[in-house]
Amino acid sequence: MLLELSDYKDDMRRCIRCSICKWPPLAQVKSLRFSNACPSVAKYNFHPYSGGGKLALGLALLEGKLTEATDEMLNILFRCTACGACDSSCKYNAEIEVLWSIYSIRAHVVGAGYQLDEHAIITDSLRREDNPLSFPKSERGKWAEGLDVKDLSKGGRAEIIYHAGCLSCYDPESAAVARDTVKLLVKAGLDVGIRGAQESCCGSSAFQLGFQGEFIKFAESNIDDWNAAGAKTVVTSCACGFGIMKSVYPLLGKEMKFEVKHISEVLADIIKDGRLELRKNLSAQVTYHDPCNLGRKSEQYVPWKGEAKKLLGQFIVREPEKIIHRGWNGIYDPPRNIINSVPGVILKEMERIREYSFCCGAGSGVKQTMNDFALWTARERIEEAKSTGARTIITACPWCKKNFKDAIAELEEKVEVYDVVELAKQAI
Amino acid sequence: MALARHIYQMFESVVGLENISDDPAVIISYMYQPFGRTHGVWSEIAPEAVLLPGCAEEIAAIARICNRYNIVFKAMSTGWGIHNLPGVEGAIVLDMRRMNKIIEIDEKNMFAVVEPYVSCIQLQVEAMKKGLNCHIIGAGSNTSVLASATSVVGYGPDGLSMGFSGRNVLGVEWVLPTGDILKLGSTGGQSGWFCGDGPGPSMRGIMRGWEGAWGGLGVFTKCAVKLFHWPGPAKIEMKSHPPNYVIKEPLKYFHASLFSFPDLEKLNEAAYRLSESEVGYFISRLSPAFVGMQMAVGQNYVNMWNSGMLKAMLGYSFLFVILANSEREFDYQKEVLNQILKETGGQASPIAETPEMQAETATEVIKVAAVTRSCFRGATGFNTSFGAMDTIDLAFAQLKAGAELKNKYIKKGVIVDDGGDNSATLIFEQGHLAYTEVLILYDLHDKESSDGALEYLKESNQNCIDKFLGPPIFQLSQVGTGKHGLFSPKCHDYDKWQKKIKTAFDPNNTGDPTAYTSPED
Repeated sequence: MLLELSDYKDDMRRCIRCSICKWPPLAQVKSLRFSNACPSVAKYNFHPYSGGGKLALGLALLEGKLTEATDEMLNILFRCTACGACDSSCKYNAEIEVLWSIYSIRAHVVGAGYQLDEHAIITDSLRREDNPLSFPKSERGKWAEGLDVKDLSKGGRAEIIYHAGCLSCYDPESAAVARDTVKLLVKAGLDVGIRGAQESCCGSSAFQLGFQGEFIKFAESNIDDWNAAGAKTVVTSCACGFGIMKSVYPLLGKEMKFEVKHISEVLADIIKDGRLELRKNLSAQVTYHDPCNLGRKSEQYVPWKGEAKKLLGQFIVREPEKIIHRGWNGIYDPPRNIINSVPGVILKEMERIREYSFCCGAGSGVKQTMNDFALWTARERIEEAKSTGARTIITACPWCKKNFKDAIAELEEKVEVYDVVELAKQAI
Repeated sequence: MALARHIYQMFESVVGLENISDDPAVIISYMYQPFGRTHGVWSEIAPEAVLLPGCAEEIAAIARICNRYNIVFKAMSTGWGIHNLPGVEGAIVLDMRRMNKIIEIDEKNMFAVVEPYVSCIQLQVEAMKKGLNCHIIGAGSNTSVLASATSVVGYGPDGLSMGFSGRNVLGVEWVLPTGDILKLGSTGGQSGWFCGDGPGPSMRGIMRGWEGAWGGLGVFTKCAVKLFHWPGPAKIEMKSHPPNYVIKEPLKYFHASLFSFPDLEKLNEAAYRLSESEVGYFISRLSPAFVGMQMAVGQNYVNMWNSGMLKAMLGYSFLFVILANSEREFDYQKEVLNQILKETGGQASPIAETPEMQAETATEVIKVAAVTRSCFRGATGFNTSFGAMDTIDLAFAQLKAGAELKNKYIKKGVIVDDGGDNSATLIFEQGHLAYTEVLILYDLHDKESSDGALEYLKESNQNCIDKFLGPPIFQLSQVGTGKHGLFSPKCHDYDKWQKKIKTAFDPNNTGDPTAYTSPED
């Protein structure tokens, strides 16, 4: 299995309870109002809702100080978008794997037979319908009906496989963006195909909620299918899918004969080399929301396996040296490059950006199962977006966009949200 | 012993259903507290419940319930260190997280009014927007402004220009252990927050004495702190990647210098003269290991240490930072500095003069954001010894005694070999006061190491008495019941006064006395 709680014992014991996981990296704090890093502890306040608090819980479980999971413990563990902000903040000063410890605690609890009822709906849907949204598997390919693009489920090969992702396959608004995406790729002359009805979930929800077996099934199946299709590149619009494919798929040990790219990387490239020209002046101030899974969570994770030895008396050194995932190798510039390529568009940055961006609230199954918390988090982010003076949020993930739009509708705010692909399309 | 259900419900009716918990998962997470422990990470004592009060009136109501039913309570702000946990069975924890507002920044009168959960970094960024700055304690900008002002010590390396928290505190709102709400200084005289000592009751000495009551005398719910002129920009932008964020634009009239001296005596003399000259923003005597662990981790640190470079560069040295308002002032401060260094034999290190080092130093001395690197990541366990806030002479005497004693334990292999000299020596209030902590790093999860650390701490405490080095502030809050008996006879029987205060202000001993003093000791 990928996630063993005991592998993170040393990380969990190294937390010093300094609370730095609750804020952005201290040098990057810019105001009191937007100085929360973690949506979970910002909303629920009790220490265990923070990254450090969860490490304490994990250690208590591992050491037998807690022997069963109460309802509140499940709330603590899963009323969390696993956005990884705690992890990035902690790593400003330490080398602790906070996020992967959280994943492991969840997997441990699930492995011990505990599950939120709401999550059973997701896992049942994954098992029956190959998506976490309870939509019929048979309707997966409908989003692409009538599109002039190779459907690889009917045979044939393409250099690029476009993986739409679950939300884009079933949510009409996201599906429209996916259709536009394909049209742009085709227009740019790229050899692109889709897997239509045969596309299935990336497994991100299953992984993040602790269902390792389900995740491995989806991930291995996808890798096999993409290898078999002979694709050089798998491109996805879904930041969650991109994050899991980049950071976790390689840990399965299966050969991946393809490269994984997010649509924002591809678009930025074809805009740069002139295959896609953005000419229309849109005259707008926009702000950009970094999706967690596209940013800090998309670094390839390399678990540390080795030995800790002591030098200089009690100074602990890891052999081999640990690779530290601090989050700054994620995809941050391509979406910004697209925005900056659009004539008349001015990008106004929010306070919390890049590796210390604040979550939209949708991740890790929270949107499907705890929508109140998802919307609360989105409202926080929308306030920050508004503070830039912009009234348009650009993002690069269908889940972020959907959650923002739901929150805006509830707030009756005059704020618009677009995927970066939509922005590019408007500028053609 | 769980709280009786009807008492729990009384608390619940005060703070609301969502702001109280006795769930085992919540309780255990509050028991995790490595800082200040000599072995392991868990407190032996479980609180009965954790409450998240939202205002002084709620805390007053909680205190009244506690008095009625003989329940001990302990409040924490940002909650870092074992002194935040109750040290007696049957107690409740008040986590002040919801009280997180900056009530006011009075630009004209240069003070801010804050609630307990406002951290130094939060206040600093808001103050800078108004051309002001705040003192940040040596532990780092992740700590509570109010906690160090009202309750716990409060020195920091910017103290040269911004004093120390015990002096900077102005008006205070205080919920006494009995549930009465007391307002100190001008706030008590209904004249605003501008003064700690009147018109209205001045009780600074009772409230915190020299080092604070560590949460043993009730809960401070608001306080005003002095702010200071900030000559830099309203917003400081960072560049580069974590963990190496540095300021994007060089600060005007800023210069950081690293000086070394032939011996400790010369360093001491320079420290006095520089402090008395009333120039400079920041001064700290830096030890080789402390600096090395800020800069590197793991094998890289070991290699750096073994190369001897750190010791050669930082043997007897200090970092001195100038941050001036004008070119003229900047030149004046530099001239004063150069003159003193000339007369005391100080040599400037070229290593600090590069633009990169200037940017790194500026980031750290202003944001105080990376202190934990030097204290915790080397060996998991960290504690401090010696450390009485007194004169520069005493600080250097502690430093010498600390290094001597530590070397004995380094030879035994039970603590990290940092050459014996791992400390942060800070000088504040124009040289009238100084403070040094002799730091030790050890493995919390290795019994031999943690036993060794405990033995060292006991011996260092005895050293303080035998060598007349003053009471070690952080140890006083940690040693536990009976601790004052060790130091009190040598220090004017201070604990007799503390007991009298405790009895008068807390007749039922409901404010957790563990880190302060108990009349029953």
